Amino acid sequence: MNKMQKALHELAEMDELAARSSPIHSLHPAAKLIATIAYILVTLSFDKYDLSGLVPMLLWPILLFQISGVELRSCFYKLRIVLPLVMAVGLFNPFFDKEIVLRIGPAAVSGGVVSMLTLMLKGLYCLMASFLLMATTPIDNLCAALRQLHVPKMLVTLLLLTYRYVGVMTGELAIMTEAYHLRAPGQKGIHISAWGSFLGQLLLRSMDRAQELYASMLLRGYHQHFHYADIKPFRRRDALYLIGCVLVFALLRYGKIAQLLGSAIVR
Amino acid sequence: MHMADALLAPAVAATMYVASGTAVGVSIHKLKKDDEPQKLPVMAVTAALVFAGQMINYTIPGTGSSGHMCGGMMHSALLGPYAGFLSMIVILAIQCLFFADGGLMALGANVWNMAFYGCFVGYFLIWRPIMQSRWFGAGKGAQRARIVAASIIGCIVTLQLGAFSVVLETSLSGITELPFGAFVALMQPIHLAIGLVEGLITSAVLLFVYESRPELLQCVEPAEGGSSRRSLKAVVAILAVVVLVVGGGLSLLASSNPDGLEWALFGNAEEGYAENMGLDEENYGVESAAAETAGAIQEKTSFLPDYAFADNDAAVGTTVSGVVGSAMVAGVAILICLAGGFFRKKRQSA
Amino acid sequence: MIEFQNVSFAYEKGRPVLRDLSFRIERGEAVGLIGANGAGKSTVMKLLLGLLQGEGKILVDGLEVKRETLGEVRRKLGFVLQNSDNQMFMPTVYEDMIFAPLNYMLSREEADARVDAVLARLGLEDLKYRYNHKISGGEKRMAAIATILAMEPEAVLMDEPTSALDPFNRRLVINTIRELLQTKLITSHDLDMILDTCGRVILLSGGRIAADGPAQTILRDRVLLEANRMELPLSLMGRE
Repeated sequence: MNKMQKALHELAEMDELAARSSPIHSLHPAAKLIATIAYILVTLSFDKYDLSGLVPMLLWPILLFQISGVELRSCFYKLRIVLPLVMAVGLFNPFFDKEIVLRIGPAAVSGGVVSMLTLMLKGLYCLMASFLLMATTPIDNLCAALRQLHVPKMLVTLLLLTYRYVGVMTGELAIMTEAYHLRAPGQKGIHISAWGSFLGQLLLRSMDRAQELYASMLLRGYHQHFHYADIKPFRRRDALYLIGCVLVFALLRYGKIAQLLGSAIVR
Repeated sequence: MHMADALLAPAVAATMYVASGTAVGVSIHKLKKDDEPQKLPVMAVTAALVFAGQMINYTIPGTGSSGHMCGGMMHSALLGPYAGFLSMIVILAIQCLFFADGGLMALGANVWNMAFYGCFVGYFLIWRPIMQSRWFGAGKGAQRARIVAASIIGCIVTLQLGAFSVVLETSLSGITELPFGAFVALMQPIHLAIGLVEGLITSAVLLFVYESRPELLQCVEPAEGGSSRRSLKAVVAILAVVVLVVGGGLSLLASSNPDGLEWALFGNAEEGYAENMGLDEENYGVESAAAETAGAIQEKTSFLPDYAFADNDAAVGTTVSGVVGSAMVAGVAILICLAGGFFRKKRQSA
Repeated sequence: MIEFQNVSFAYEKGRPVLRDLSFRIERGEAVGLIGANGAGKSTVMKLLLGLLQGEGKILVDGLEVKRETLGEVRRKLGFVLQNSDNQMFMPTVYEDMIFAPLNYMLSREEADARVDAVLARLGLEDLKYRYNHKISGGEKRMAAIATILAMEPEAVLMDEPTSALDPFNRRLVINTIRELLQTKLITSHDLDMILDTCGRVILLSGGRIAADGPAQTILRDRVLLEANRMELPLSLMGRE
């Protein structure tokens, strides 16, 4: 499989997950979107040494993964993109911040190690949260929510149109890449002599495609206005979910759950 | 260069959202005024194309490694700044939503770092001036040379700006202990090389478009006249030399004198980055929603909120309880997973 | 229903694609437009739909095709593109189908009723909420036809409706076309399909009409077809 085929596979997997049904899937997309953003903001707001404060934040995504029936491991595949980046930045911390903040028996833990761990946890949590959003919300529902939240129509329409053609284009490039490598077995990538024409050819064809697409819109009476499927009403349970989420986040943020749990045992 | 959520403080993420959002507003306003309804499908298809095109491996001759492109400059050359900007945003949004490349909160920053510079700076300060200039003379050969020059300069400059913004945003967020100067010295030279490769790829594609459909390029007049391929190679060679010299100089400067860079940027050289990273958040208007965060970053070397120093007996208890509590939370998380699996099985068998 | 009067067209000066083309299609007729690659078939379609402007006069239901009448003309014509991916630009089949009715100022209820009626008629109820990027080529073509039928056009234009379909789906599309009561204008190289669906054939060659008459006559004329870079439909081979 080449990269494009893998990307197509990933897209298809997300579509498949989002098409399932569960109590989380049936929630209003706007409620899920706002809750996700709130969760990420709360996660990011933790201080870089507040490891024990951050740990209980894990409970929310774990719980939702279980309720929605989305497998945790399908999300971990995507860690390969997030972790290296976070690590690249975080790995320096132990070298620059050597202040000892904690001793567990004979082992001393420096501030840099703690801040590196919180950074990694933050990366993990944010990934889980946004993965959960996309795994339980089809893209068109999400776009409907974006419009309700007054994101400009042009942007939302563009997102939908682009999403529709991302699959088509990626598929075409996958075939072209395959065809290229079948005729150039020893090469890892595109040779410099074809740098321009490889993507250029597809680009020219794409422009014709765009024209045909526009013709197709015009011929069906398009005048600067897109109609979408009906937007689901925001029901009481959606509001309850959102309020519940905010309360839980507040509790996790200021409640010092881990400290309380721990002190119940330690003392 | 995609920033992850974890690398940003909420305040920085929000600031970048506001900045990018403003640029979106301006772009949409301009596009609405231009009133070119056929532009929307062109934008969508170009965005989809660039999205897929980012996955192509380009072999870099003589190195055995491969390069990629990000597409900001290509967008502005094909669609102009406003439409190109919106298309780039959509690409970044799809990458962040479906591929975890970037993040929901980091989207504002990513749009700024990659789309804003590539489309606005790249178009108004580089592409348009060069295309409208008389550089390299008249005729088709000169036009080719201008396209190559604009692509390479554009990609390098916009990537440098983007990389610098990444450093700035990460440092302002107080995420890394890496001194600001060292971080800059690390990022800029790498992105110089990346920018050069991207510039070469972009110019190759744009030249191909120019040969067959010059009307697709912004600000390019389909010129008549003889072609001289020699001037093209000369341009590439000259540019490469300039890039190497300037790049080498810059990275030397950056690595040998990070304090100087800092001083130039933040004007507090005395403090020294070892103590303070050279960043004084309050002076840069960064306020975190969570009250402690900003203070904690500022005085991070002198106190640790809610935690005690190891030699402070009174506070060790809370720290240890923190560890124990965390372990318990992890236990609860595992229990939730087990319960979820149990109920699913039960439902399946029912 | 459709009338071309002395229509000429050239993409580049001095290289005409259509020369002085005149024909007339009556309401309810099914006409196959055939010809070699580059004979001008797609150009005829584009001129008819007002996507290109040429010389001469084109009438649709008595209306001349020009800038002022485009809206009305296009409302009467449904065009099924060769590449369904280019036609279906919305995320789901349903959203693509309501696109045109809503643009023509129908209420949401009327549009929904139309969509359901068309889907039921074509037996495609299962496709309604499917994603356009996840349905097969055959399903996509049927969905594209459904999209056009939801417009309730007076004439249906089709560009290679059976290209790249397996025999089963091809037959499905052919049967669907045969059941349409609208005026039909179909371009294709699939002459068997033209024979199955059209009563009349117009053969284009070098931008002019080389032949115009009953499908049974023209498609049996081996000499005429071969002179125009085509061959007899398979079903007629050995039965001249």
